[in-house]
Amino acid sequence: MKKLVTIRRKALAASEEQADKLRERFADSGTLVFNLISSPGSGKTTLLETTIGRMAEVYKMAVIEGDVATERDADRIRAMGVPAHQVLTSGACHLDARQIETALEATDLLPADILFIENVGNLICPTTYDLGEDFKIALLSVTEGDDKPIKYPAIFSRADITVITKSDLLPYVPFDLDTVMAHISSLNPTGVILVVSSTTGEGIDLWCDLIASRFEAKRRS
Amino acid sequence: MHEMGIAIEIYRTCREVVREHGQGRLQTVRIAVGELAAVEPDLLKFGWEAVIADGPDEGAELEIDFCRADQRCPSCGEAKKRSEGSWFRICPDCGAPLEVRGGDELDVLEVSFETDDEPAEASKTQE
Repeated sequence: MKKLVTIRRKALAASEEQADKLRERFADSGTLVFNLISSPGSGKTTLLETTIGRMAEVYKMAVIEGDVATERDADRIRAMGVPAHQVLTSGACHLDARQIETALEATDLLPADILFIENVGNLICPTTYDLGEDFKIALLSVTEGDDKPIKYPAIFSRADITVITKSDLLPYVPFDLDTVMAHISSLNPTGVILVVSSTTGEGIDLWCDLIASRFEAKRRS
Repeated sequence: MHEMGIAIEIYRTCREVVREHGQGRLQTVRIAVGELAAVEPDLLKFGWEAVIADGPDEGAELEIDFCRADQRCPSCGEAKKRSEGSWFRICPDCGAPLEVRGGDELDVLEVSFETDDEPAEASKTQE
């Protein structure tokens, strides 16, 4: 006998259910969660180090690092005195909600005020996966070239905040900042764009203010 | 390539649907993939073949409805066609942010399977 079942169910239902559970858990602990997505080497970990240096005295912070191999990034965060857990994906190109759940079970990262999840360096795959975060943040370093937002539009159209990093290198690389900002705004008219340098500190005040205001907004809600 | 992981999830979802409605062997699965879902249909089919290979559902077919996004300019008040490969959400005529509906689908729509259950005639269930 043949049976036909007509449904409309999210293909990633199991993974999205898990993300919803994480969201509840983060709501219970009053934790603001950012999912950082960019290509490898765009400065995610460095921006986190800078942020921790500025904000960890006021806010209790925690970090989950995703990489294919090595504890390097988590070690860098721990060296700053902030708890970090390294998820090793052994080749997988993104983090999913189950890995975040496992990481939370295995550690005492929560309760925390702010949790940063640094995704595996990749502009494509992490875009699809909900980790229960409040905001997706895309990073783009000026050395990657100014055509990346239109070549990899999905993440830039979904990120709530895009951070253009390594702005101190702008005089040395062909990167048309105005065009890039116009492209990102066209992909995502309601998104926020920041231009920062962890080396010179440019834009870091604005970045930290933005995080603080998002945190206060979540606590009020 | 994340299509492989998505194919595994789709397979899990389909297996769950079959379990909820009896038991049996998957025949055809119809899914919706939106043009803004960042999922490549051909790679997804390739992933699906790999997922079902050598298993009880080997040979089950994955049909993909590719869904376009609807864009409307609230300022011009008109539907705006999305140019091929462009993700821009700005009205090409007046520069206002476009309202985008759909195009982000990644849904299982239909699962058909063969079962030994009685009665012998074909049945249709809708959720």
